[in-house]
Amino acid sequence: MKTKYVLLVSVLALVTAQMSFAGSLKGKVAPGKSVVYLESAAPVPVTTDKPVTMDQKGLSFQPHVMVIQLGTTVEFLNSDKVQHNVFWPSISGDKKKTHNMGTWPQGQKKAFKFNDPGVVTLLCNVHPEMAGYIIVSPTPYFAETDANGAYSIANVPDGQYTVNAWHEGKKISSKKITVTGDTSADFTLQ
Amino acid sequence: MRTNSISNRYRLGCICLLFFLVFPSVSHAIPAFARQYQTSCATCHSDFPKLNDFGKAFKDAGFKFPTDDEGFLKVPPVLLGAPAQKDLFPKAIWPGTIPGMPPIGLRMNTFFQKTSGNRGKFDALVPPGTVAPFIPKTDFSTGLFSIFTAGNFGSDIAFWVDSDFNVGGDNTAGGLGDGYLKFVNIGRLLKMKKDSLSLRVGRFELDLPFSQARNINISGYDIFDQANLGNINPAFTQKNVNNQLTMADAMNGIEFSGGHQYGGYHYSIAFIDQNTSGLNQASNNSDFVPSPAGFASDSNFKDIYARVSYRFNLERDPASRNAVQAAGASGPRDHTYINLGSYYFYGRSVQRFSGETLLGDPAVLTVREPFYRAGGDFSVNYRALNVYGLFMYGHDVNQLPIDSTGTPVPLPLDPATPTATGFLHGQPATFTGGFVQADYLIHPWLMAIMRWDAVNSGEDKLNSLAGAAPLTFHTTRNRFTPGIQFLIHANIKASFEYQFRPQQSVTIITNPITGLPSSIEPFRTNTAVVALEWVY
Repeated sequence: MKTKYVLLVSVLALVTAQMSFAGSLKGKVAPGKSVVYLESAAPVPVTTDKPVTMDQKGLSFQPHVMVIQLGTTVEFLNSDKVQHNVFWPSISGDKKKTHNMGTWPQGQKKAFKFNDPGVVTLLCNVHPEMAGYIIVSPTPYFAETDANGAYSIANVPDGQYTVNAWHEGKKISSKKITVTGDTSADFTLQ
Repeated sequence: MRTNSISNRYRLGCICLLFFLVFPSVSHAIPAFARQYQTSCATCHSDFPKLNDFGKAFKDAGFKFPTDDEGFLKVPPVLLGAPAQKDLFPKAIWPGTIPGMPPIGLRMNTFFQKTSGNRGKFDALVPPGTVAPFIPKTDFSTGLFSIFTAGNFGSDIAFWVDSDFNVGGDNTAGGLGDGYLKFVNIGRLLKMKKDSLSLRVGRFELDLPFSQARNINISGYDIFDQANLGNINPAFTQKNVNNQLTMADAMNGIEFSGGHQYGGYHYSIAFIDQNTSGLNQASNNSDFVPSPAGFASDSNFKDIYARVSYRFNLERDPASRNAVQAAGASGPRDHTYINLGSYYFYGRSVQRFSGETLLGDPAVLTVREPFYRAGGDFSVNYRALNVYGLFMYGHDVNQLPIDSTGTPVPLPLDPATPTATGFLHGQPATFTGGFVQADYLIHPWLMAIMRWDAVNSGEDKLNSLAGAAPLTFHTTRNRFTPGIQFLIHANIKASFEYQFRPQQSVTIITNPITGLPSSIEPFRTNTAVVALEWVY
């Protein structure tokens, strides 16, 4: 009986602790189809080791926008019967982080692990009209908004963060917020 | 000393020379394809209209992506019959397609030119009492506005039509450029190897080693505009050659071709109407023998043009070497290659004269003067540097008119000269020439160009001394043309070209030693030209 009591108290304590230290971040970004991600002063461990795929198909990057956590490996696939290339001139404007992936034939992949956070603009040097975006979030707390701009990021530990909102062709917008329980942050990107 | 006889022909010749040197040849890029595939001009062009390796493969394939074309078309074609209709053939029309949107491209260009101070020296050529045309020091001038359509009708039938609406601001000077259908890969019907045989029918620029119609320069290559007119100056040995054909002319006929432009062999052989007399098809008609569009030939003979070339792609990796584009360390790129080729054109220039038979009866005398143009070409590409050139030798048989006594009749024939009754083989009229050009693509939007043109024609020099052609000081006309081109966008180009022109003269003396006419006091009339060109 005593053991059961101790167990029940422990579970309740854990649930209570979870309820009091993790909340959510919700809000709206104008325009829709944007990306929201959080930066934290405290280091956040990488929570995924599963590679994701960025495809080149029909002379376009698919998906057009992808959000990943820092440390994620992206496999670049060429599904076209023409040659492609992937390079990015910078990461969030830092030109020292430029990288060129070279050339590879149809059906094959080349992998790259993103260890720098920021916005990566993917280009193809033989098809100048092609562009894709990888948003490398330093935390696992990120979301893509719906067409109306609504987003929700669950299980965000309480604490201080910088929230970034990004949309293709707009200036990235950042806000410092303190997450305590359910928190909201709205953005209008220019 | 005597000043040359002042002649309107000089003036006309000089104006024509200036026109051809200043204004560009027709060139095209195809926005219609950019729309259909929703891809940049740069997919096929490096500094339009110059084709990159992918653009060459696209053209070879009949204006289609070399593989999986349907997968790239963003605007699906309109079916002119369900594919299943093929099963009903011949009881149904073989199904084809038309592009899902009108495949129309438009092009406009405009110029600013600055001509050197010697431009006024040509005033000495006009007759007394007349006013020479004013050649300004600087000038803004309109170029041409043209339309072009191209695409594929399915079943590997490609089409191309281009026409100039306006040239030089005048809506009457334009005309049809090319207009043809190309039946791509018809060799498959004969179970031949893929791409080994295609057929082009209509009006087209010959399969020249380097296109005059689609070159990137403001001014065209001099050698492609070279006609072969025999000397008519009576002070020298005259030549009865009047061949106005130039290799830049659009030709009417059929062409068989095969191979690829981006690697390996390529060949073409064309059978085309002969028109060495500058015949105008629209006006060459007969009330007694009606034709739907006039007659374009001036003889029964069909000229023949043939070209063979082989391109050695130099990548070590076989997969990369044989691909449409090479696999570079930083992305696909044009191959590093050496392309060698040769070409040959054969025709029989025809001239007709009023003369008489040996019996003294009036007759139309027809003289056929076989001619050929032959030469070789090369192109070497290493990364961003492309060096290429061409040599041409032109040769026309010269049949001199003779009278009933066998004495040569002075040229040109006119009522005052003895009546011709026949012809006698004379020294052929020949010329040589070519060009070498280097294009360096400094950035994808910035091209530096250096070019040298040379035409060596003794006939041209002698004709100029007779006042029948633009004045040439030397037998060889050299022209250096450095230039630079900027792509403001992939479809807007700003070009600059400085033309160091050949030496000319307006003063002719009689050489006291030889007693023959000679030109003195040479000068150059150089021009700087800036062009803006846009296609959309």
